[in-house]
Amino acid sequence: MKYSVLAKSLAFSVAATVMALGSTNIARAEVPSWCGPKKATLALLDGYGGNSWRQVTTASGKQTVELCPSITKYEYADGQGDTQKSISDIKSMAAKGIDALVVFGDAGPAVLPAITSVFKAGKVIVPYRVNVGGKEGQNYSKFIGSSFVDDGETWGKWIKSILPKGGNLLFLSGPAGNSQGLDELKGMKKVLGPEYKFVNPEPFAVTNWDPALTQKVLTAEISKDAKIDVIVSDFGPSLVGALPLFNKQNKSIPALATSDGNSLGCFWQDNQAKNPDFKLFTVATGNDNVRLAVQWAVALATGGKPPADQIFKAPAFEDSVTGKPNAVQCRKDLPGAIYLSSELPAEDQAKAVGK
Amino acid sequence: MPLARSFVTVILSTLLLLVVCMIFAPSSISLGAFSGSLPFAAIIAIVGLGQLLVVQQGGFDLSLPGAVSLSVVVATHYPQQNDAMLYRAVLLAMAFALAAGFLNGVLVSIFRLNAIIATIGTNALLYGAVFAVSGGVPSITTNLLAEIAGGETFGFPNSIFFALAALALVSFVLKKTVVGRRFEAIGANPLAGRAAGLNVRIHRMMAYVYAQLLYCMAGVLIAGITREPTAFQGDSLLLPSVAVVVLGGTSLLGGRGYPISTVISAFFLNQLSQFALAVGVPFSAQTIIQALALGFGIGVYSIRWRVNVRKSTGSKNVEEK
Repeated sequence: MKYSVLAKSLAFSVAATVMALGSTNIARAEVPSWCGPKKATLALLDGYGGNSWRQVTTASGKQTVELCPSITKYEYADGQGDTQKSISDIKSMAAKGIDALVVFGDAGPAVLPAITSVFKAGKVIVPYRVNVGGKEGQNYSKFIGSSFVDDGETWGKWIKSILPKGGNLLFLSGPAGNSQGLDELKGMKKVLGPEYKFVNPEPFAVTNWDPALTQKVLTAEISKDAKIDVIVSDFGPSLVGALPLFNKQNKSIPALATSDGNSLGCFWQDNQAKNPDFKLFTVATGNDNVRLAVQWAVALATGGKPPADQIFKAPAFEDSVTGKPNAVQCRKDLPGAIYLSSELPAEDQAKAVGK
Repeated sequence: MPLARSFVTVILSTLLLLVVCMIFAPSSISLGAFSGSLPFAAIIAIVGLGQLLVVQQGGFDLSLPGAVSLSVVVATHYPQQNDAMLYRAVLLAMAFALAAGFLNGVLVSIFRLNAIIATIGTNALLYGAVFAVSGGVPSITTNLLAEIAGGETFGFPNSIFFALAALALVSFVLKKTVVGRRFEAIGANPLAGRAAGLNVRIHRMMAYVYAQLLYCMAGVLIAGITREPTAFQGDSLLLPSVAVVVLGGTSLLGGRGYPISTVISAFFLNQLSQFALAVGVPFSAQTIIQALALGFGIGVYSIRWRVNVRKSTGSKNVEEK
């Protein structure tokens, strides 16, 4: 009896293993449609690679490249926030004979001349996420933007649902005048009428996405404004250190509409009981934007079929009120600086950010 | 003993700023605002004290950003949120600081390199270490450090006590010990110091070492105050560190240092940025307000200086009569 159970379970596990192995082989053998037959080399160029978000994004880009066997060589360069270095990175990659370049043009239009010269030299070049100006087919092969206006609209709709009569909003974004923040504001304004008052200076409170500056800005805003109903921020995790300031001033943390991050989800779980007003809503932080850009670049360079999407739309990810599409997620066993909304499995992200 | 002119100036400027705050942005001097912003004033004060020591020897320490960033990443990456490893991380950060300090000191005082050039080089080395430790990625701080550096005691942020302790130590050593008196004398006139038989090189070198230890302290505090500090947290501190030394009345040519005035200037500078944030003007105007107020703060010196000159020439006239 015991033996037969053992034998059965053994047989079952062997069968399962064989099936699992077989299916991975099938998955590996299956070439995605955007991967054409022509051999090519590809480089991913970052304008600023110095945070966990970028590390996860880079790992996602690399993983996408690996799906296509026609790509014979993959390179990566980090501009380290230096516009000059970003420009020379782009030019030197092209000079090295790389066929396809995927560029995160943090410096915006400043990198456009370099991109244009590479495009004119006959390379495939796909800037993504940050608008660098210029035109498709004239300055670059394809621009894969992210719809920050959509993000703003998604936040706006949620704010309307929890605060139907209007209220005070505080909007925090990165460096002064960054296009992401401006687009998000445009999206929010589409949905929210004048009964929703932005208490920050127009168009948004400048934080440079720096946790220390965020803390200072939030300090000033909390003590200035009697009541903040909702904080909107396009980089949620940089807020985590600053949110306890509300408790220091004997106020509840208000509702928060932002992008996701493991540390933020865990912070919400730890603090929601003490803070009755602390509701959390996130959109996916958009690491997967790079996948679409890489797919386009690979398709153009190898003669594959380009993907159907031309713009990356970040889906809503967590909602603490309705639990849809997800309840707030937290993986305490993994680093705080990973993004559970990303397609890249959490464990792989932990490896990418874990030094 | 009459109060130092710089001290009076800084106190008056700070009081004036507080009055302006009270009128135009009362929220910036509320209790809550202070508890949020004072930790950053404390950080500026500590790096300012470090820079002060170097400036007293007629030098400049441009390795501050790398030094602060390195101790931030060592204090966050090395323990990986494990409280038990924290003290080792802090010791490691101090070891790095000592090495960087001696390197700066040897380059400047023994090999006689220009301080600006030498410390820029060291800064690049330190940033190399920052990337080696962190890969440029932030890490979340340990709970213990967050409690020590970010917590409050008797209703005051702990970081203030660290800043006050650093101030007390620097003031006491500079003003009341033989080493400190020699240090100031050498800063004022190295040739006279050498003629008097003082070891000018050692004192100059040690200025950079002490400075690094203070930067290290500031870095560890930042690691506790911000929950997920970036790997480049020191970058924004270089200019403030020099600004508070100048505002505090220490001559960039070296000589007598004013630690207390430097620390009050740090409060002034921080309150100024808090004021700019609280008045709720656009970002561009915030920057302009800060620049104007800084210009005013430094301008106050030149005005008082001219008054003093007139006074002294006046008294000379009296003598001549």
